[in-house]
Amino acid sequence: MLRLQHITKRFGDNLAVDDVTLELRRGEILALVGENGAGKTTLMRIAAGELAAGSGTIHRDGEIGIVHQHFLLVAGFTIAENLALQRSWRFASRRALEREAETLIASTGIRLDDPSRRVETISVGEKSKLELIKAIAKKPEVLILDEPTSVLTPQESAELFTVMRALAAGGTSVVFISHKLPEVLEIAHRIVVMRGGRIVAETEAHGMTASDLANAMVERTSRAAGVASTDSSTRGEIVAIVGVAGNGQTELAERFRKENPGAALIPEDRTRDGIVAEMSIAENLSLKSRRWNRREAAASASTLIARYSIRATGPDQDAGSLSGGNQQKVILARELEQKPKKILAAEPTRGLDIEATAFVHAQLRAAAAGGASILLITSDLDEAFALADVIQVIYRGKLSEPLTPAAAHERVGALMAGIA
Amino acid sequence: MIDVILHALPIAIIASTPLLLAVEGELVVQRAGMINLGIEGMMLVAAMTGVIGQQLTRSAAAGFVAGIAGAMVVAALFGVFAIRYRADQIVTGTAVNLLAAGATGFVYQALRGGALFFVPPMPEQVQRLVVLLAWLVVPAALGLLLWMSRFGLRLRAAGENPEVLAHVARYRWCALAIEALLAGTGGAFLSLALSSGFAENMTAGRGFIALSIVIFGRWNVRGAIIGTALFGIAAALQYTLQAMNIGLPYHLLLALPYVVTLLILCGIAGRVRAPEALGR
Amino acid sequence: MRQLAAALLAVVLLSLCALAVGRSPVELLRILTLGSVGSRFAIEGTLLKSIPLLLTGLSVALAFRAGVWNIGGEGQFITGAIAALIASHLGVVPAILASMLAGAVWASIATLMRLWRNAPEVLTTILLNFTAIHLLGWCVNGPLQERSAQYPQSDLAGASLPVAGELHAGIVIALAASVASWFLLYRTAAGLRLRATGLNARAAAWAGINVNAQLVRAMAISGAFAGLAGGIELLGTTHRLFERFAAGYGYSGIAVALLAQLHPLATVASAMFFGALATGAGELQRTAGISSSIAVFGQAVIILLLILFGSWRSRD
Repeated sequence: MLRLQHITKRFGDNLAVDDVTLELRRGEILALVGENGAGKTTLMRIAAGELAAGSGTIHRDGEIGIVHQHFLLVAGFTIAENLALQRSWRFASRRALEREAETLIASTGIRLDDPSRRVETISVGEKSKLELIKAIAKKPEVLILDEPTSVLTPQESAELFTVMRALAAGGTSVVFISHKLPEVLEIAHRIVVMRGGRIVAETEAHGMTASDLANAMVERTSRAAGVASTDSSTRGEIVAIVGVAGNGQTELAERFRKENPGAALIPEDRTRDGIVAEMSIAENLSLKSRRWNRREAAASASTLIARYSIRATGPDQDAGSLSGGNQQKVILARELEQKPKKILAAEPTRGLDIEATAFVHAQLRAAAAGGASILLITSDLDEAFALADVIQVIYRGKLSEPLTPAAAHERVGALMAGIA
Repeated sequence: MIDVILHALPIAIIASTPLLLAVEGELVVQRAGMINLGIEGMMLVAAMTGVIGQQLTRSAAAGFVAGIAGAMVVAALFGVFAIRYRADQIVTGTAVNLLAAGATGFVYQALRGGALFFVPPMPEQVQRLVVLLAWLVVPAALGLLLWMSRFGLRLRAAGENPEVLAHVARYRWCALAIEALLAGTGGAFLSLALSSGFAENMTAGRGFIALSIVIFGRWNVRGAIIGTALFGIAAALQYTLQAMNIGLPYHLLLALPYVVTLLILCGIAGRVRAPEALGR
Repeated sequence: MRQLAAALLAVVLLSLCALAVGRSPVELLRILTLGSVGSRFAIEGTLLKSIPLLLTGLSVALAFRAGVWNIGGEGQFITGAIAALIASHLGVVPAILASMLAGAVWASIATLMRLWRNAPEVLTTILLNFTAIHLLGWCVNGPLQERSAQYPQSDLAGASLPVAGELHAGIVIALAASVASWFLLYRTAAGLRLRATGLNARAAAWAGINVNAQLVRAMAISGAFAGLAGGIELLGTTHRLFERFAAGYGYSGIAVALLAQLHPLATVASAMFFGALATGAGELQRTAGISSSIAVFGQAVIILLLILFGSWRSRD
């Protein structure tokens, strides 16, 4: 099936996968769990042959299918055309492609209606199903699913689990990458825990509890620092918008940007929208300034680098060469130094490590304490509950009524699935 | 007015045949995700090599073959830089155009004095055949190739989201070859059928006009034909107006095609959906 | 360094063109060198050609730095010259201001079309070049034709730039423009915003920069420089308009700017190099009968070599 022995992979100074040995059994559902950056995705891309291993041996038998977190679909094509891209054929009418797509979809047991629809018009859950259909259509011996449920509603997740069980029963081995422990315990036969590029635990799923797994996943010495209590009358409100990714969050952020000139904006995609990679840290920090003097800008950049503990060689370093967490700190420094009345923070801690996350949260709390009102758009429920005074759920572009965190605890799941 | 248009129609169809071929070629290339400004240089080189080929062999067919070969060389040059080295396509296209203008100018001077640049009129049947190809056969073939074959589906995927394909470069090279075939034929038609030989910078911006029509036609074959026809009629009115002597100065009439193209570019109503990976 | 290597290699490649017409590459190189820097007369010719090249180069550098594809230098050059001729009867300063205004206005037509109908400026600016060329043709055959109506050219301009020997004051203006562009781009907040927009328009927008305003500004300044180039060429060198007045200066500006890596100060050196190339090529045409269009060929070869040497990669 698939046997990985002593696999190691480095990206620059970062040891992403560190001497991992793993064997897959026929017809099993293996859950690969761990925090962001634990090396799960890198390991599986090596297994699938998408990345070359630094060292170690890989033994593969038959096709390995992989469904990425990031969709590989052509938005302007129809469902049928996307499916036809990987099949072999010469000439066919659009109609014929659609008929073949219908047959193919039916054979996988996944429900996906009307293959003549353009992919850009279908929901995220449907896109994820389409990716799964594409992978299953190749009849793989091993199917790797990278965080498939992160964009699914609970119903869609349940549907996915049914398909996974059917595949496993048919002899396919399924690797399920996730950090959602209840799901893992529900579906997996065997669980492998990764941390810092290594396998730290490997166990049969039977009899495990979520807290056992959580302990294995993280070695936490301290959680995020506490907040100083402040006078609630001058404190700004933090409103969190939560929801499954792709339900209109991007459009909401875009609208906020257009409607609130002068607001502080922390964009969702920080490398694309947050910084100008080819410019220095000092220049990036000055983008909002009306007046600009190089020497003064360098001096104030040095101050901000210290204040926001940005790990950099100096104000002249290119912002593009910083790590994700430090890029985010540059953006925070630029935006929050304006002492804004309104702040938009879209997925402010996505992909950041625990320390950087704690730092961002502390900064946002401090800004709120200083009187700024914050709109926090996040798909991380823990983040919403940790920061928000008010929570609203976004589903298919519509916002729910504002909820208190206590009330939200009860209803947020149903609202995110659009069934309340 | 109708009379004027009807009178202009046959001239329009023949005179805009090279343009249509260029539009069709650029359509394929842009569907594969590239903007080839160098099509202007491609046509210019084809116009020259077409004449040389014709004069050396005294055969119109050989002229077209030589024209296509010339265009292929220019396409290969563009491809090496834009595909292989992933250079900026607009910079590359501009360089290719300068190269073509410089090279043809150099050869033109070097060969001047010889009778190489005065070709006899092209046989009527050959001319009709090319017009027929451009206006009927190629559109049908492109419709089939781009929208009803797996090759076309993948070529278009290269222009929408190159990440989904393993061999993006292969499809982009194919697209460039198709463009060279069409634009090369167009360039040769220009010098062999529409004029009696080669003149410096004789393409006069047809490549850029072709790019504009591709956009106006929303990257569709039907749009390409309608756009070219509209442009052709407007440009042919130039001659009719000249003949009617309505007082517009000759030199301003010469500017008409470019003004019409500018208007065409502004006539794109609503949001246009370009191939998503165009230019990347 | 790479730039120097590309330029030298291109000249060597050019000399091989001599083989095509049965002459020796060494002889071609000799004529090219002597014809461009071999005498006081040649050096003055080179400097004269460098003046418009420096300004069109700056025009392109500023636009490209802001992420605006202004390929319309040729048309802006022409309209600048036409406006300068008309305004020259008011004096040389009004004529220069008029040329800048006309270039900016002509370029701004493309801006308008982009903002209004999303028409790509890379095409509209090129189409405006062709339109301007025929507009010039009409002018020198019609309203601006010389009073004797003998040739398709205008009468002498009503004013001209101060001269010193063969050189005219345009060189001072062009150098000042180069320093001013550098100051604008690298020492002002406005320049920071232009560059940020050129490098990453999305991030610029998220940082609160009005991206459309940068487009308007970059295009207007870029057009003004190209127009100024045309005005100075008219007021300092040709003193009258004729059909082939532009002579490719607008397009050459692209090669000048790229060789200078879009840096306003480096553009001075780059413009002198291309000025020398053009002057030397003119000498080749006169004395050896080799087409001066090899200068254009040389520009293209240099751009392509720069890509090969990795100094002009796409940004994705």
